[in-house]
Amino acid sequence: MSDAPPPATRIVIGIDLGTTNSLAAVRAGKEPRVLRNLGADPLTPSMVTFHPDGRVLVGAAAKALRLEHPDRTVFSVKRLIGRSASECQNDIADLPYPVVAGDRDLPRIRIGKQDLSPEAISAMVLKEIKATAEQALGHAVEEAVVTVPAWFDDAQRQATKDAAQLAGLDCLRILNEPTAAALAYGLGGKNDGTVLVYDLGGGTFDVSILRIHEGIFRVLATAGDTHLGGDDFDQLLAKRILSLLPSKQGIEDAYVLQAVRSAAEGLKVQLSSQEQATLELDLGDRGQVELTITRAEFEASIAPLVQRTLDCVKSAAKDAGLDLKKIEDVVLVGGSTRIPLVRARLEAATGKAPHTDVDPDLAVALGAAIQADILAGNDRSLLLLDVIPLSLGIETLGGTVQKLILRNSTIPTSVSEEFSTGVDDQTAVDLAIYQGERELAQDCRLLGQFKLRGIPPLPAGLPRILVTFLVDADGVLRVTAREQRTGVEASIQIVPTYGLTREEVRRMMLDSIENAQADYIAREAIEARAKAEAMVRGTKKALTMAELPPDQTFAVHKAVKALQKLLAADADADALKSASEDLTKVTATIADDVISAAVTKSLKEDQQQEDQQP
Amino acid sequence: MIHVPAPDAFAVFGVARTLDLDPQQLELRYLKLSRECHPDHNRSQTSADCVAVLQRSAEINDAWQVLRDPWRRARALLEAESQGVLDRNKKLDPMFLMEALELAEEVAHADSDSDSQTALTEKLNAAIEADYQALRSDVQKSDFDTAAKRVHQSHYHLKALHDLEAKS
Repeated sequence: MSDAPPPATRIVIGIDLGTTNSLAAVRAGKEPRVLRNLGADPLTPSMVTFHPDGRVLVGAAAKALRLEHPDRTVFSVKRLIGRSASECQNDIADLPYPVVAGDRDLPRIRIGKQDLSPEAISAMVLKEIKATAEQALGHAVEEAVVTVPAWFDDAQRQATKDAAQLAGLDCLRILNEPTAAALAYGLGGKNDGTVLVYDLGGGTFDVSILRIHEGIFRVLATAGDTHLGGDDFDQLLAKRILSLLPSKQGIEDAYVLQAVRSAAEGLKVQLSSQEQATLELDLGDRGQVELTITRAEFEASIAPLVQRTLDCVKSAAKDAGLDLKKIEDVVLVGGSTRIPLVRARLEAATGKAPHTDVDPDLAVALGAAIQADILAGNDRSLLLLDVIPLSLGIETLGGTVQKLILRNSTIPTSVSEEFSTGVDDQTAVDLAIYQGERELAQDCRLLGQFKLRGIPPLPAGLPRILVTFLVDADGVLRVTAREQRTGVEASIQIVPTYGLTREEVRRMMLDSIENAQADYIAREAIEARAKAEAMVRGTKKALTMAELPPDQTFAVHKAVKALQKLLAADADADALKSASEDLTKVTATIADDVISAAVTKSLKEDQQQEDQQP
Repeated sequence: MIHVPAPDAFAVFGVARTLDLDPQQLELRYLKLSRECHPDHNRSQTSADCVAVLQRSAEINDAWQVLRDPWRRARALLEAESQGVLDRNKKLDPMFLMEALELAEEVAHADSDSDSQTALTEKLNAAIEADYQALRSDVQKSDFDTAAKRVHQSHYHLKALHDLEAKS
């Protein structure tokens, strides 16, 4: 990252935080562009490896180590974020790394003695994306729009916001992925009309129907499944491969699980372009697998999953009040839409050949960059009107849920209700907020408990507490309350069922600042050490070549010895720096500059070696 | 829990309080208001302003949901003309209720064959259309009590149609 001053116009980046891959984009001018390192793959794997030697590797470096350290390489945390450990039982069983149930039954990733939240892992991926973006832009980035599946509920959105905050990013907006893709597709006004976005990613499926009119992108309806994606197709193939293994122990073995998972993914990709694919997998003493699978076989196994996506498509069309055949264009997003069966089935259902102008891997990030540009105040010609994917309600007597805000309502949206007390002098009222479409509270997701406090003590039924539920443009609920007679603002204490409490976020922020300090000190020590070692080597070499007067030779030897002693004692950066300076002074006074030349050469060689390292 | 009525949707949109709003004009009005008031185009610094902008934007979105639907629009119009009129006129004619009950039975026992379903759908649509015509004339005469009863009655026809559609 260079120290160039940030540009005069405000730059906000868009980030597609995917289940398997993530990337950032920016819009400076008309067209958005992907931010990547020169020559590098635009997609950064959403993976983190905690190397036993203490290093933490993110992205491609982590992916390269996933077979070597399968139980320390974390991926697909998007399947865990904002959910309880019990809810993700099935996902956890498929993951090669250990996930345990922590406090409040929240999933925690266990690496050695450390338990990490999915938010913390996502924050590491986001930090990597942020660093890449900063390198590509040449200045610091502080604000971002981060995308989530449209079908993410309040808790999952909030958890994603927390991850961004932990990564040092001010998240201006949580944006729905299909909506983002529609922005990228509809930019420039050439595609005004009704559009269906079909987004089948690694772990989630979304469908959104939008109307685009003169720069206004209005979502009419959205539907989806947070647990349906390419990973599930891989899993079906992986199960088939595992069944061919001679020993059933493999299922418990993190290495085998990871190797089989990678092999399955390879087969799936091949089957998108070939009629059949062959796998020869050698797992050493754990056995060998040979498998030939035809596209027809693969399609038969995934057909029920593809049908589930089409049911969502129909449901979205119904909610939008539209006949599927009336949709003017179909846009594909997500790597899994490369599967021929997916395209064929969708084409049959809509009667339209899907539109493939926008790269399905990049569309979401590009769209996020456009929304980021709008929020930065750089483009007032565009506007996005999105919806809330799931209804919000409140638990009433008998455990039923009274809906306050219906799904597919355009956001922001709000509703007010008046509450009172049941007993004399009651000063607090509890409200339980649920999200979901079912009638009974037990079938919906409890988002959190809201406790209204500070109600003035009055006879039962007299207080009139006006509670306003407002869903903001992120799709996140805000609740405010006021006692009508006295005008007293009732304070609201929120206990989220899922994800991090505000206190936890605050503590993790502090920890990361402290860690950043520790990281800096460690890096400084490593650099000082490397420099001192190079100086010792260079000086010794020069001494063998130069013929110096004995007193000078003695002085140089003395300075070298002192530095070597410090190196052997693992001295800190300051001590090493000061001894290195002493040595420089001694060698600099020598008339013949043989020594200085040799030292400089040695330092240079060191630098080059470092540069050549990947 | 008592539902707090939303602000008058006609006033929020700044349009005449009438049952017959041109759908295209209404949609353009909605988009124009959204452009002016959406928080994405009005990112102010203070949090108090932020909440005000959010509230205004929410009001516009909610008013749009009301005005675009002919029956919700009718309810909003009646409430705006005469507060509490819908609550005061909940008691319906027993004769009508008998008919509504028979209609619900008919829907419940409707054959799955498409011909009889189509016939029933047409019958219900005609009833709903007739309800709305009558509602127009009630409103024109400023007879809001009768209009409110009409709205409640139409609810049975709308529900029957909804149930019938759910069956197919």
